[in-house]
Amino acid sequence: MKMDRTQRGWAVASLGILGASAIGYVAYAHQAPAGPRGGSVVGLTFGIVGFAFMIFAALLGARKRVPTWRLGRAQAWMRGHLWLGLLSLPLILFHGGFHFGGTLTRVLMWLLIVTVGSGVFGAVLQNYVPRMMTSEVPLETIYDEIENVRNLLREEADRAMESICGPMDLQKQASEGQRAGGYTALRPISAAAVPLRTSAAISAGASAAVAPAAETMLLSETESAPLRRFYLEEVRAFLEQPRRRGQRLGDAEKVQLAFAGMKTLLPEAAHGALGDLKDICDEARQLVRQERLHHWLHGWLLVHIPLSLALMVLGAVHALVALRY
Amino acid sequence: MSSTNTTLVELTIDGKVVRVPEGTTVYDAARLNGIAIPTLCHLQNQTPVGVCRLCVVDTGARVLSASCVRPVEPGMKLSTNSEKVLAAQKTLLELLMADHPAPCARQQHSGDCELEMLAKQAGVGTPRFAKRVSSRGADDSSLAIAVDHDACILCDRCIRGCDEIKKNFVLGRMGKGYAAGIAFDLNAPMGDSTCISCGECMVSCPTGALTNKSVVGTAIAAGTDAQLLTAGELHRLPVFTDISGTFLELNRGAIVKRRYRKGEVICREGEFGSTAFFILEGAARVAISSSIAHVKTQGGPQGFFKRLSSVLVGREEDQREEEARERTIPIDAPVDLAYGNPVAELGPGDLFGEMTCMSFYPRSATVRAKTDVVAFEMLRNVLDIMMKNKTFRAQIDANYRRRALETHLRGVPMFAELSPDFIEHLKGSVELVRCAPGQVIARQGETADSFFLVRIGFVKISEEYPGGELVLAYLSRGDYFGEIGLLGGGVRTATCTALDHVELVKISGDDFREMVQRFPSVRSGIAAVAAERQAANAERMKTVQSVPLDKFLSQGLMEAQSLLVLDLQKCTRCDACVNACADAHDGVTRLVREGLRFEGFLVATSCRQCRDPLCMVGCPVGSIRRRNSLEVIIEDWCIGCGLCARNCPYGNINLHPFEVRVEDLENMGRKKAVVQQKATSCDLCTHLKEPSCVYACPHDAAHRVDPRKFFAELKGHGPAS
Repeated sequence: MKMDRTQRGWAVASLGILGASAIGYVAYAHQAPAGPRGGSVVGLTFGIVGFAFMIFAALLGARKRVPTWRLGRAQAWMRGHLWLGLLSLPLILFHGGFHFGGTLTRVLMWLLIVTVGSGVFGAVLQNYVPRMMTSEVPLETIYDEIENVRNLLREEADRAMESICGPMDLQKQASEGQRAGGYTALRPISAAAVPLRTSAAISAGASAAVAPAAETMLLSETESAPLRRFYLEEVRAFLEQPRRRGQRLGDAEKVQLAFAGMKTLLPEAAHGALGDLKDICDEARQLVRQERLHHWLHGWLLVHIPLSLALMVLGAVHALVALRY
Repeated sequence: MSSTNTTLVELTIDGKVVRVPEGTTVYDAARLNGIAIPTLCHLQNQTPVGVCRLCVVDTGARVLSASCVRPVEPGMKLSTNSEKVLAAQKTLLELLMADHPAPCARQQHSGDCELEMLAKQAGVGTPRFAKRVSSRGADDSSLAIAVDHDACILCDRCIRGCDEIKKNFVLGRMGKGYAAGIAFDLNAPMGDSTCISCGECMVSCPTGALTNKSVVGTAIAAGTDAQLLTAGELHRLPVFTDISGTFLELNRGAIVKRRYRKGEVICREGEFGSTAFFILEGAARVAISSSIAHVKTQGGPQGFFKRLSSVLVGREEDQREEEARERTIPIDAPVDLAYGNPVAELGPGDLFGEMTCMSFYPRSATVRAKTDVVAFEMLRNVLDIMMKNKTFRAQIDANYRRRALETHLRGVPMFAELSPDFIEHLKGSVELVRCAPGQVIARQGETADSFFLVRIGFVKISEEYPGGELVLAYLSRGDYFGEIGLLGGGVRTATCTALDHVELVKISGDDFREMVQRFPSVRSGIAAVAAERQAANAERMKTVQSVPLDKFLSQGLMEAQSLLVLDLQKCTRCDACVNACADAHDGVTRLVREGLRFEGFLVATSCRQCRDPLCMVGCPVGSIRRRNSLEVIIEDWCIGCGLCARNCPYGNINLHPFEVRVEDLENMGRKKAVVQQKATSCDLCTHLKEPSCVYACPHDAAHRVDPRKFFAELKGHGPAS
């Protein structure tokens, strides 16, 4: 969630609640004969309100399971989750009088701190990572499609190579299809291009022509030898396992040098195909970057959600035990 | 031809004394006495014109005479094979061969091009004269006859055949000198002219200028149930009486007689085809096989425990607004299907599959033989000839007037109030008009003199503005136009063009004016619709004129009226929008979080509610349409042919299989589960008041925007007026 001016209302209200609670706690703490306790009226109030905020925050998960229910916009629920969830920490601290108490309450307090902390961490990630992803991965695709796109990139690279070096006995994939990232491709993919049909063309019963592929020349075995070696040893290996460390093509600066060097070894007729290969490698590298950013963007939930569930369960247990006994 | 005058004239031809009736031409006099004179422009059954000059004879005068037009004179002495005559003929042939595309089509196919044969007989070798530099071109527009102007020697035989023998008066001459040629009507392509493809010009032509198009590869796959008929057998049937026998013989294989047993499927909805059917005997049942049910959009607490799968809810459970009880589903047959009971019957004399045959649209319904059926199945070239034939045309039109016209008239909401007697009057007075693809039906600025109802095909309504043409709407079967011009200042406010083979019901201006006078409710209804259309058109025009073009906009974004835009700076790629869309539409998402990108925004792949909705063109059952508001909707009787998905340039329409329960025709009264493809696209969740994708986005990243305002603000132009 991006922290922008639209959050101002929630921030001000939360600060107001925090301020009022703090004033109330200070006054209560000074007046309490035995000091602030969780079981006192004020302490219980803080506890109930704090737990209510935690319950509301936890309900966000349930709210997301029924996205079309008209129970308030998801955006409002998310903001409530953030701000009320954040507020629950000081309120619970006020509830306990800044004492962590026995085993259960100590565990609860640490759970709460870590949960809120992971939530804040997640909020920070959600604030910055989308911007990073937008600027660093212009060829972003849908996360679940990354593997498909990689396969298509590999096939495209094979075709580009074979168009100038001749048959190379490269292993073919079983299926071909249009790339999910086709709209953001740096170069036209004539095989998958969709002709744009204007009303005039429809009226005339015609369809727009697809741009023909650029003419390329077949290199001799001697001329293509450096490119073949480079492709088989580095490019294809990178396209097959882009996440493997230590690959020259995985580094944005090194790839420039690599292809610049390769350009000097090849005749001009091959420069077009070489440029295509570079674009393909760039895209593959961007997909790796996208995967990493995606994991950061969503990976923290693997900590936050289980902790939240544990917090709710133990919090309920604490409430029952404390009130009954 | 020689006169019937019994006075005989004596003359000498090539030293032989002959006697022929007075008035006989020299050519005929020679022919009657076994002397052959070569000719290219003369045929015995046509009026001689003497244009080719090949039949010249030497009468001893200063110049040679064309024998086909020169009447005999008493005491005439002439020679048909003197040195002078032979030299003249050879030079003429050499000149003609210089421009002739030898071997021409006729010589290639049948080896009997008269020009090439005569040239060979005269010993003409390679012509000494240069070939013409520019080609006169060819005309391949006719379904039956190929025109090669380069092979034409301007003998006029085709013109005389068309005028004198067939009395069609389609062909004529155009141009002069070296640019002269034959023309159809006012130099229209042959296929677009009034030519009925009788073939008379073709059989008259001495060269390969007019030849029959090969039927190789166009014959309908025969099969054991198909019966090929000769021209003679077809002529015994009333509907083929006036069809040219030459044409039928030359197109044998393009029409077959088929027999269907009771229960047999003749054609299935959604399948692509290229033939039409004409029922001779028996009855057939036409229906849309999928049950009429809504692709239900979920929403509200009641959906919580329901399995989010592809389920179609019965119509009675989900009545939609704007549904009229008398609503009909337009199909490619002489009847429309009632919405509540989409079944009808076809019988002898009914033609169905016309749109599939002429325009290659998918079959709009399933036709199954109710009894044993005998029907003709024909290709487009045969149907085209049949539809131009007055007898057949009259029968089809009569069927339409009897069975479907009233339904169509009543289908216009404003006409629902018309009295039965006025409907009967209209049924008799309306004109049924046929338009070719691309034909302008009414032009902007012309005087409005009629009101039109679309019977078959698609009509484009567009308006000119400085800088181009703005498409306002696509109209299909059951839609109407022309009312704005008639109610307004009497001038057409838009241009209406036939997109494919269109048939219209034309109501004259007089009838229209009488109607609005007699039925005030009709007038107010039409006026309301006209005002609404004008307001919408004005809004569209304002949009086109006010927004500056930009490289992003040139990607078709300005065609959109509503874009789903994702702010990538805020979007956490959580797919809540996609999940919400699927949740609202039976588990099938109608948006893909991928598409055009610019700056920090993504235009998701989701229906853009285009101003020029190309998706609507060609729907065989008219199920994709636009409501009075913004959104393009796909009605529940979609047959899943996929044409709209192919037409959408942005990939915003997809086909998805749904499980439906349909009537089991093998076990009547029972239902069976089948998988039915249906097209889906974003409907803006109008029944939920706000798109679910926008409502469910927790990060304020998804927005439905008006591109005009959005791009203007983005580019710093401020809110667009």
